[in-house]
Amino acid sequence: MTDAQLLNVLLLAPLLNALLMFVINFSFKNVKQFIYTFFALLGSGVSAIVAIYIAFINYSEHKLLVSHLFTWLDISNFSVEVSLRADALGSFMILFVAPVSFLIHIYATGYMDKDKSYGRFFIYFNLFVFFMLLLVLADNPILMFIGWEGVGLISYALIGFYIEDVKNTYAGNKAFILNRVGDFGFLSALMLLFVMIGDLGFSFDAIFAHLIGVDSSLLSFIALLLFVGAMGKSAQIPLFVWLPDAMAGPTPVSALIHAATMVTAGVYMVARFAPLYNMAVDVSLFIAYIGAFSALFAAIVATRQYDIKKILAYSTMSQLGFMFMALGVGAYSTALFHMFTHAFFKALLFMGAGVIIVAFHHKQDIRELRGIRYSVPFVFLMMFIASLTISAIPPFSAFFSKDAIMSTLFASGHFDIFIMALVASLLTAFYMFRMVFVLFFSEKYQEVTQKSSKTMFYPMGILTLLTLFSGFWNLPEIFGGNLNISHWLHLADKSATLSHETEFLLMLGNTLLIVGVIYYAYKKYAYADGIEQEKQIDFLTNKFYIDEIYHVLIVKPLGFVSLFFDKTISAFLIDKSINNLAFLYGKLGKLFSRIENGNVRFYALYILFGVVFGFIYLYLLLGAFL
Amino acid sequence: MLKSYMILSIILFSIGVVGLISRRNIIVIYMSIELLLNAVNLSLIAISADLGESSGQIISLIIIAIAASEAALFMALFVVLFRNRGSLDANLFDILGEKHD
Amino acid sequence: MQNEILFFILAFIAVVSSLTMISAHRPIDSALSFIVTLISIAALFALTNATFLFVVQLIIYAGAILSLIIFIIMFLNIKDDNLPDEKYKNRWLLATSIIISPFSAILIDLILRSDIAIKSVSDTKFGTIQDVGLTLFSEWVLPFELVSILLLVALVGSVTLSKREN
Repeated sequence: MTDAQLLNVLLLAPLLNALLMFVINFSFKNVKQFIYTFFALLGSGVSAIVAIYIAFINYSEHKLLVSHLFTWLDISNFSVEVSLRADALGSFMILFVAPVSFLIHIYATGYMDKDKSYGRFFIYFNLFVFFMLLLVLADNPILMFIGWEGVGLISYALIGFYIEDVKNTYAGNKAFILNRVGDFGFLSALMLLFVMIGDLGFSFDAIFAHLIGVDSSLLSFIALLLFVGAMGKSAQIPLFVWLPDAMAGPTPVSALIHAATMVTAGVYMVARFAPLYNMAVDVSLFIAYIGAFSALFAAIVATRQYDIKKILAYSTMSQLGFMFMALGVGAYSTALFHMFTHAFFKALLFMGAGVIIVAFHHKQDIRELRGIRYSVPFVFLMMFIASLTISAIPPFSAFFSKDAIMSTLFASGHFDIFIMALVASLLTAFYMFRMVFVLFFSEKYQEVTQKSSKTMFYPMGILTLLTLFSGFWNLPEIFGGNLNISHWLHLADKSATLSHETEFLLMLGNTLLIVGVIYYAYKKYAYADGIEQEKQIDFLTNKFYIDEIYHVLIVKPLGFVSLFFDKTISAFLIDKSINNLAFLYGKLGKLFSRIENGNVRFYALYILFGVVFGFIYLYLLLGAFL
Repeated sequence: MLKSYMILSIILFSIGVVGLISRRNIIVIYMSIELLLNAVNLSLIAISADLGESSGQIISLIIIAIAASEAALFMALFVVLFRNRGSLDANLFDILGEKHD
Repeated sequence: MQNEILFFILAFIAVVSSLTMISAHRPIDSALSFIVTLISIAALFALTNATFLFVVQLIIYAGAILSLIIFIIMFLNIKDDNLPDEKYKNRWLLATSIIISPFSAILIDLILRSDIAIKSVSDTKFGTIQDVGLTLFSEWVLPFELVSILLLVALVGSVTLSKREN
């Protein structure tokens, strides 16, 4: 197969399968579940295999794969091409997006077993894979925006998947509307870019080639607007409030969309626009600060959450904050490396949470789930490994990625950011092990109420292996590695070198601190009732009242203004005037309908009027020439 | 002389239009229409005589034939309308329009 | 000169009788005065040498159509109750005459200003049945045939119309 065909198969396999399942779901009733299973796994499986292959040839041969599908718009010298492009960054993204999607598809066949909307779920899921791949492989920002919106739409549909409960729908709405705010920024940035340099071509290459010509302050503005889009998608302060609520969806959705892939789209986008951000240093720093605040904030809030999925959601937000910190100081490949490892361990954590939720009567409160270590031993093992990983304990994968971020921050000289990152990372270890110790380390024993199917464990096993070993791919020099991924990606990284001694000391210090925190958590929560004695700090359990503040600051005034417009302007000014106009026309019509009285004699009279006036007019007109 | 014929034709035509519009009796309306046709015939004949060309007379002939067929239909119409409504008032036959109360 | 005097007499009769026709209250009066109009118009035809049309006018119009109208009026046995109550008839007539007067005035003015004039027709055959017949069957065959279809349609239509329901 040629390169173009490979890319087309990669992209279209999930789409075609989604369409096929849609047709089946639409036309037949009582379809056997295995039919959906077959098509869902076919679509995502084919794309996963092809994605790995593409990433492999890109990695080994440094070959750019391009597939031009068709021309979408062609207006004078401006044209929007629908073409796909797998450069190093794109193939790195699909390398984990497609396989992780496939694994979560397998997991979901077990999780969603016997659900009455089984078919609908997998239609969305396959469509999601399609849009995510479109977002990643897009050759120009417009196509990327389509993928961006597509994943947002699917996210909305899946958050509100259990439509019987109106709360889920509200959560979906919240996610969708907050993402609109971000999309406004993204779209405005695209428009500005188009106005400035759009006539020179609008593919990524063309844009980056012509960035020089743009005024630097305007460039900063564009970069800021783009980051607003990333804020919305990647749940950073201040547009993060949708992510915790998004946990209303089924757990595989949380694992795939709200942890491993979609929320990282913002990071990917900033990395994609790296040449732009390199020219807007102040905006980059702003990104770093936003990331730091988000990471710290989410970590603090997570320490007082009791819902297992909420904890993981805040942890996702916190980790995304780390990635943005790295992006902000110009370490793009480091951020992407953390995204890579994060996809594995966070998906694993969510899957473990999903198994627990299914096994114990859909309970999600960790206080009610104490003592389940011997009921679900595999889950305990996997989640323990994942927690060690996320806390950056060597030699697990996240140790390398997070440590790379820490040392980059340290080397960049922004110590305030570094301190915030350090505190956030210590808190990460604390809240993760708080969860683990509360869940698994207790004298209590709870019986499993519903056996989980085996299909849920296989993908978890694979992910555990990936969690353990994926970090070795990008070993830093200090451990004798050669930063394979960073060299492959070859992004416009700002290098900040640190002497090996400092780096080693930093690592050691970090790790010791984290181990200390874990020990503290063990003392407090394992085999103890520390969780029961926790003081209810309303400030934290209610996430700093951010939702309420937004409600007061934005929702209320908007509601008030809407109400004003509805009751006053709309009702009186617009409705009344339009109604009056309509009544006027009605009355005029009544008046004129008297003329049309159905009596043919009168019609003849009107003709006579016309003829006479016509004659007079013509006579006067001709009179001038006579 | 032709001018006199034409003027007579115009006067007869105008009288026909006045009768057509003003009267409510459908028999009179019908005769007014015949008067319009006759006025036109008159001018046609006068012009044909002026030009020494008999085509005008043929057109008149055809108009007379049409008037005859029209007469046949009108007679049938009178019978039907009078049978149904018992009157020859043109104002009664206004189902084309909207009813006002 | 003789022709002109005859023309004016006939024209006068035609106009007066047509005015009577449109203003008479009862349809039978209208019909009778309309016969007068038609006969005077026929005479005017004769005055312009259109002898065949003169005959046709007399036979078809005055003879057939008008007698048919009178026959229908009598057949329907229209009483005064059946006649429409035309309270404002005279006002209507006046108003419509005023409305149409510019139309007539403009046309008459234009005719008077134009430079058309009747030629003395020297050809004695003009207007005879032979002349008309030759033109009809040579140049006007198609319209002639179409008229026959029209007459057929009118015949069928009138029968269908006047047929009683069931």
